[in-house]
This record gives sequence, C-alpha cells and structure tokens, in this order.
Amino acid sequence: MSANEKTTKEILKECLSSQHRRALYSPEALEEIRREFVRWFSSAVGERDRESWRETPLTVLGSDVPRELLYTPLSNPDLDYLRDLGFSGVEPFTRGIHANMYRGKKFTMRQLTGFGSPEDTNARIKFMLEHGATGLNVLFDVPTIQMYDSDDPMAAGQVGMSGVCVDSVEDMDLLFRDIPLDEVTISIVSHYPSNTAILFSMFLVLAEERGIPWDRLRGSVQNDTTMEELVRSGSEYIPPRDCFRIQCDNIEFIKTHVPRWNYITLNGYNLREFGTSSITEMAVALSNGIETLEDLLSRGYSVDNIGDRLAFFWSVGNDFFEEVARLRAVRRLWYKIMKYRFHARNPRAMWMRCHVQTSGVSLFQQEPLNNIIRAAYHALAAVLGGTQSLHVDSYDEAYSVPTEEAALLSLRTQQIIQEETGITHVVDPLGGSFYVEALTSEMEKRILDEIDEIEREGGYVAAIESGMLHKKIASYFAEQQRRLEKGEIRVVAYNVYKSDERLPDIDVFRYPQGVEERQKARLERLRSTRDSQRVEEALSALRDACRRKENILPYCLDCARARCTEGEMFKVFKEAYGLWRPHGFW
Amino acid sequence: MGEGKIKVLLAKLGLDVHNRGVLTVAKGLSSAGMEVVYMGNASPPEILEVALQEGVDVVGVSCLSGAHLTLGSSLMTLARERGLVGEMVFLIGGVFPPQDVERLKEMGFDAAFLPGTTMEEIVETIYSLVREKRAASLEPLNREEG
Repeated sequence: MSANEKTTKEILKECLSSQHRRALYSPEALEEIRREFVRWFSSAVGERDRESWRETPLTVLGSDVPRELLYTPLSNPDLDYLRDLGFSGVEPFTRGIHANMYRGKKFTMRQLTGFGSPEDTNARIKFMLEHGATGLNVLFDVPTIQMYDSDDPMAAGQVGMSGVCVDSVEDMDLLFRDIPLDEVTISIVSHYPSNTAILFSMFLVLAEERGIPWDRLRGSVQNDTTMEELVRSGSEYIPPRDCFRIQCDNIEFIKTHVPRWNYITLNGYNLREFGTSSITEMAVALSNGIETLEDLLSRGYSVDNIGDRLAFFWSVGNDFFEEVARLRAVRRLWYKIMKYRFHARNPRAMWMRCHVQTSGVSLFQQEPLNNIIRAAYHALAAVLGGTQSLHVDSYDEAYSVPTEEAALLSLRTQQIIQEETGITHVVDPLGGSFYVEALTSEMEKRILDEIDEIEREGGYVAAIESGMLHKKIASYFAEQQRRLEKGEIRVVAYNVYKSDERLPDIDVFRYPQGVEERQKARLERLRSTRDSQRVEEALSALRDACRRKENILPYCLDCARARCTEGEMFKVFKEAYGLWRPHGFW
Repeated sequence: MGEGKIKVLLAKLGLDVHNRGVLTVAKGLSSAGMEVVYMGNASPPEILEVALQEGVDVVGVSCLSGAHLTLGSSLMTLARERGLVGEMVFLIGGVFPPQDVERLKEMGFDAAFLPGTTMEEIVETIYSLVREKRAASLEPLNREEG
C-alpha cells in the first residue's frame, strides 16, 4: 500500500457515512426505554452490579471485549434492520450466505484425517466416509508439511507422524486409492503456498493419470502465506514476497485450470491457535485477502471473477456468544470490503465462506473427557454462527492424534447437532438478540481497527517483513500464559476444581510401526526406476522459472509427472529464492 | 542458590511446526534470569553440537509432532555416546501421552513436561536439577561462565 492510498477503514467510513439509515427503534420508544432503564438501574440493580456493569470475560484466546450486565435496545440504538442485518442470502449477509442455510445445504462434516503411511490414512478416510463424513480433510505429516522427503536426515523419526507422508505422486495415488476424486470434495491441507504448489500439482497429475478432467475436481487447498511465514516454526523460510507471489500465482493457475476448486483458504485458525486474540485472527486473514485481491486485480482479473472462491478458516473457542458474533461480524465486514473497496457486484464474491475447526488449545490434558463437552460447545457456536463446514477436535488431542474411537465421537458430535438439536431448521437463530447484535457490531469494529493497524504498517506482507505481527503475537501469548498460570482465565480441572493430580491413562493413539522404513524403501525404488534425465530437466526448468519469478505451477506439474519428489522441488525453491530469517518472537 | 547464571539451550526437535510453547518457555527462563540460546528447529546431532559449543547447563527440547520417543531417544543415545548425560540437564516438553513420561526418563531425560506445566515448575525444576548436577561434578554453581 502506498502512502497516498486510503486504508480500508477510511474507504468504508467514507462510503457508509453518506448512506441514509433508517433506525429500527423509534426515538420515542428509545426515550421511554431509556427512562425506564434509569429507573430500573437505580432501584433494582444492586450497587456492586451497578459499579461493575461492564465486566470483561477472560477466556482462552479471547478478545477482552467488556460485556454489560444486560443488553437492551439501548445497546444498539441506531440499528438499521435492512442495512445491518437484512435477510439471509442477500446483502449484507450478516444472517448467512444462503437464503435457506442448513435447510438447503447442511454443513459439511469434514474431519481432519492423516497419519502414518498413505495406506493407513486411506483406510481411515474410508472408515470416516462409511460413518457419514461428507467431505475429506487430509493432513500431512511434519516432513511433508515442511517439504522434506521421508528419507531426508531431517525427517528421521517423524515420518507419518501427525499426518500422512507423501513424497511423490505415487504416494498421492495410494492415499486416494478407491476414492472417486470427482465425487467427494477434498480439502488438501497444504498449509503453505510453497507446498501447495508441490502437493496440489501431485494431486492434479493423479487426476490426469486417472483420466479425470480437472474441471470436475472440487475441494480446497490452504495456500496461505500466514502459515508459511508467520505461524510456522521451520528451519528454512523463503522470503515473504516470494511466498506471497507464489500464493497469488497458485490462485491464478487454479482459477484458470481447476475452476471449481477453492484456491485459497485464508487461515485464521492456526494463527489464533498459535496465540492471538479472536480479533487478530480475523484481521490478519482479511488483510491477506485484501492484499491478495489487489495483487490479482493488478494482473487484470476482475474482482467478481477472482473473488468468488476465497474461503476462510476460523478457530472457534470458549466464549460462546463472542464466537457466534464474530462469525456474523466477519461475514458483514467481508461483504462491505468486497462491495465498497473492491466494487464487487457478483454476490458470490461478497460471501465470507468458511470452514471452522474447534479450538485445540482450549483442550486440556487434565480430565480429558471434559474436552468432549468443550468441543461440543465450540461446534454449536460454529453452527449458530453459520459456518459452511466443520471439524470437531477430539478429546484426546492433548495427548496425541485421535484414536479411531475419538475421531468417530467427533463426527457424532456434528451429527447430533445436525440431526437431533433442531437448531438447523431456523436461519441465524440468535439474530436480533440485543446482546448478539451489539457484540457483532463491536467485533466488526475491532477487526476493522486491526486491519487498519496492519495497513498503516504498509499492508499484510510488510507487516510480516517488519516483524510487527510477530511482536504483536508474542506479547499476546505471553500475557495468555500469565493469565492461565495465575488462574485469571479459569479452566476446569486445570486451575479450578482440580481433582486427582494424576493424569488418567486413556487409550491413546499409537502410530503404526515401520512407516519410515517402508517409505524410504519406496523412495529408493522410485529414484532407481524413474527416468532420471527427465527428472533433471523438469527440476532445472522449475529452477529457471523460479529465477524468472514466473508462475511455477506448470513447472511443478511437470516435475510431478516426472516423479520428482517434494524435497527435490523445495530444494529448488530454496536455491532460487534464497532464504529469509523471520523475526524473533521473544 | 548461587549467583552463577544458568545457561539453557532450547530447540524444536526436528521439523515440528509448533513453537509457541518453546518460545513462551524461552521468554519465561530469560525473565527468571537464565541465559537462553534458542536455535529453532534442529536435528539431535545439531542440538548437541551447539550445546557443546555454547557450554550450556541445560538442553531443553520441544516436541508436539508425535516424534518425542523416536527423536528423544536418538538425542539421548547421542548424548550418552558423547558423555554429556552426567554433564548437562536434559529436558523435554510438548504434547505427548502422560504414560510416555516414564519412558522418556528411562532414555535419560531428567524431566518431561506435559501441557499445562507452569513456568514456575519449569524454573524450579531447572534450578534443582542444575544444583544436583553441579554438586555431583563438584562444580560450584556460581562458577565463571565460559
């Protein structure tokens, strides 16, 4: 962003202040409510409650927004029904992106799956689908996420852990064996732009080799610079500008060649879980969205065309009403940004579509079964907030990857919400609550304020380069830790109502044995049977493309076709782009 | 407790992506007056190499990737080969089943910290373990740092 450009907040202020607003409550009614309120306040409310009328709930990774004792029309006196809330499926989308919401399309039950070898994960995927999961969400192991091959010395001891290992297109084939790629929607949790370029290329080559046209594939990749440059701990980082360009290049390629694929998932989740407030989570993701659109518009795309497949990914945690309000707030704010900053006309481009995962850091090791209750409340808030898809964390995740039993329980939690509670029959059931509406407006205001802070730093990428975001996060999570340790944030069985000190021996997941050896052997076989000249040529073409700062996806596809491995491709990125050192957090 | 500053090396074990915990510990230990070297992600041989170069009292590794047993064991096997087990205090923290704490101690870790451990517990554990090790090697705690 250059100095003479207006910030998003300034643009919205300008556009919105000139609008004529029609207040829902008449001045006479408000006046009478005010009079009665004063009378009630001084007669029925005790002195202590009058003094602490506003109190701030201290919750895990919360916003610190103070709450009143009781909300009334006076909390939101100039509410304009049509401008602020309206109807579902139309502007400003506060109440939901579809007119009929869950009556029309149920939220997708998309549980994360990934551990061990591609065959192990394939079996778990089938198990989840057989039990009613409606989407796939594939998580990779640490070496795959960090773009090292299973036989790299750095990967030793970690192959197949906390995700599935994928080194080449052959592993991708085993992972999706018997899964009709064009029938289920597949979320490929390729966190970073770099590994999206690599892993999604392998996925596309797999589809190609199975004879499935790319335009029939539906699903999403993450492809998020925040994940690669801000949230991640890694030994090697490419520079943020290159990373951001790869993110935009991936979008451009996918938009053109895989038209039904969601090419970016702006990830607030991992940022918040890393240790940011519920507000910063959304401000950073939206700032990335804004800068990404600016970049793509400068390449000649129209916002209505390129803006229609951005998706967001949020963490939903303990503060129940705040979480509902936040999802509503960010839906309205994204709409305003698309409408007034980018002048979008296509309603799809104004949708804040999202996936929610329940908060993992809110789960504790003490009395792990309590986590079932926590995650169920998180999930309920996500659905009341109008999410499009959901993953419910399992109660044993503070111990290890979920067991099959725990993973099934998470899926059942979703199915119980969907089938038994009745909450999906009515759209935005909390809309109109004096409290929820006031909190929604407050959340929206605070998210926009933090976007403004980032834009004044020079924008999203600049705020990463300068270390501003790293510092903000570090000071927030240090304070979180202090509050938890002092018991200011109250956590049952951890710092209040503590019982037996001994942690229970729950049945924990143990990784399958021998994955690393099998994977190494498979790689050795691959390296000795593939056409090494073709491999070298593909890698060298990729290197040249990186140096020319060209879109690398077509070259990654050629590498995948030639059976290049993930580690080989990442090595090329490092050589061509050089390495960057992120700012220290402490 | 003597005046000598305790020197601690902290690292992420292997390629694990989660670093909030170890960063919080790094900050906490420096606030408690210890000298902290944080090396980010590193393999067991790299960690020991830096531990020797820096002459640290304590090596603390963080692991939330599920590799605490495999990488933990390779770290401690190497440490034993290089004769560091009696010399330095070895700590591990992260997300792992409580049942694994004993196994990690059998490998040679002096302590293993599960989620929910407070900074105070970590600081106290380090003080008492360093005191024990220095007493065993007849080295005063307030030695000159090299």
